[in-house]
Amino acid sequence: MPATTHTIRYNTGKKTLFNARLMSVKFEDLYGFMVEGNVDDVNVLNEVRERIREQGRVWWALEANKGANWYLQPKISSNEGVISVTSLKLSVLTNTITLRRLIRKGVPPVLRPKVWLSVSGAAKKRSTVPETYYDELIRATEGKTTPATRQIDHDLPRTFPCHPWLNSEEGQASLRRVLVGYSFRDSEVGYCQGLNYVAALLLLVMKTEEDAFWMLAVLLENVLVSDCYTDTLSGCHVEQRVFKDLLAKKCPRIAAHLEAMGFDVSLVATEWFLCLFSKSLPSETTLRVWDVLFNEGAKVLFHVALAIFKMREDDLLRIQHIGDVIDILQTTTHHLYDPDELLTTLVDDHLPFLFQFAFDKIGSMTTNTITKERKKQETVVMAELDQRIRRLSTLKMDG
Amino acid sequence: MAANAGNKIRNAKLVLLGDVGAGKSSLVLRFVKGQFVEFQESTIGAAFFSQTLAVNDETVKFEIWDTAGQERYHSLAPMYYRGAAAAIVVYDITNLASFTRAKKWVQELQAQGNPNTIVALAGNKADMLDARQVPAEEAKTYAQENGLFFMETSAKTAINVNDIFYEIAKRLLQGQQDPSPQAGMVLNQRPNERMVSSSSCCS
Repeated sequence: MPATTHTIRYNTGKKTLFNARLMSVKFEDLYGFMVEGNVDDVNVLNEVRERIREQGRVWWALEANKGANWYLQPKISSNEGVISVTSLKLSVLTNTITLRRLIRKGVPPVLRPKVWLSVSGAAKKRSTVPETYYDELIRATEGKTTPATRQIDHDLPRTFPCHPWLNSEEGQASLRRVLVGYSFRDSEVGYCQGLNYVAALLLLVMKTEEDAFWMLAVLLENVLVSDCYTDTLSGCHVEQRVFKDLLAKKCPRIAAHLEAMGFDVSLVATEWFLCLFSKSLPSETTLRVWDVLFNEGAKVLFHVALAIFKMREDDLLRIQHIGDVIDILQTTTHHLYDPDELLTTLVDDHLPFLFQFAFDKIGSMTTNTITKERKKQETVVMAELDQRIRRLSTLKMDG
Repeated sequence: MAANAGNKIRNAKLVLLGDVGAGKSSLVLRFVKGQFVEFQESTIGAAFFSQTLAVNDETVKFEIWDTAGQERYHSLAPMYYRGAAAAIVVYDITNLASFTRAKKWVQELQAQGNPNTIVALAGNKADMLDARQVPAEEAKTYAQENGLFFMETSAKTAINVNDIFYEIAKRLLQGQQDPSPQAGMVLNQRPNERMVSSSSCCS
């Protein structure tokens, strides 16, 4: 039950958003985060809880109908483009389509570990190595100190301290093993700040460390664009440029207005892409994005980022100060307790719904479109980073 | 950022740079909210804050970019310091490596940033004197040689935190009126470096 605190804050946005009342309350969200919001947030969260139960019933009914674990059957990857129909059974095709629709409406929290491991390819990845892989990896890292482990140790108490388990010794030890383990698996990535938040949320969802580890591995090695987290974050630079281009195409008025103000959208979007929204959106909303991320790929990150801008288009076009842009975007993301605002089409409501925005208003963008965009930007980013390194190295002599 | 026409509010972009864990976010949090948290969530990319400060009859509205400290995030830094009116380069007085890192930031700002950017050097965690690794004198000398102004601060005890922002605000307003702000009254040992390379700046 939410406890009312004494703090009365003025709403951070310039206008009262979402009909928010002024009383600030502290409450526990669906994944145990202690968060601060307003009374409306609490009400929304209760509605979301109810909707999750309903969605659960849909999944159980399908299980009764199609057999347990029907969704673990091989699926058609939306990333592979051409589907060879002859080699496919119709039932597999139907299941893939049903599953995609179902996942966009949300995977029930209890099923997330099983569904994510399967649709992301993490289970397959794990099956290629001996069963003892994770335990041996962790044993091999014991007692070793590297730049990565030092940074990890520094960040452990700073990773979602608002979550009781992550703030506990047990939680931090668990998170440490996953991050250190991964830093030894891929020394090029090692450890990059941001992964602490991603891995922490994976732990909360997957329940076991080993499953969280494999989800992290599949995410970095297969789902996201490569080099997102390596030394110069070049993959992240690429994504930001792709995002800017998409914003100019899909929301030209916003893009033009912000550019005229001298506001670079990467100022806010970098964190979204590196933490996969986990630091900006409420947990269940983030996880709904991840449901789609693991099933359909990284294009959903662009959909969601664009949707956040699009749903506040009118406000964004009115304002003139950089600080106000950030206020609007932060207030919007922090209060997006209703994932369906972001992700699905709700019929009888006139509020801007983010997922409705993400998939309907933004229009279709295939993985292919994004891949082409990325190719285009990669060369530019590499040249830019290269130039920067060269400029900086000329300074080194009087270091 | 141009000053608002009509009234006397001046918007000023300010960026915090420095090694991971030097206390950049803590300094900002102390200045903006008057709080100190032992374990401040690590910053990814950068976090934005704004705070106004009155200096005599004028007001400076700081738009503060608190950047991430990890080395690999440095490639993002130009986005944050581009067009900044002021920068605070932060190091941890109990960590020598963070001072070395701070010097590199100063170099980068001098070479890449706007030559008019006011640069402050903050030796943070000044409450932890027992663990000191960077002598105040050394930092002071370095600051003088490089035309920075220098303060030791503690986000934990609030020592000098408001003061450093206040000093920046004062200099910003001075600089507005006076084309040659008295940035430390010290001879710059490498005047050419600043002048020449600043022409390649990207604002």
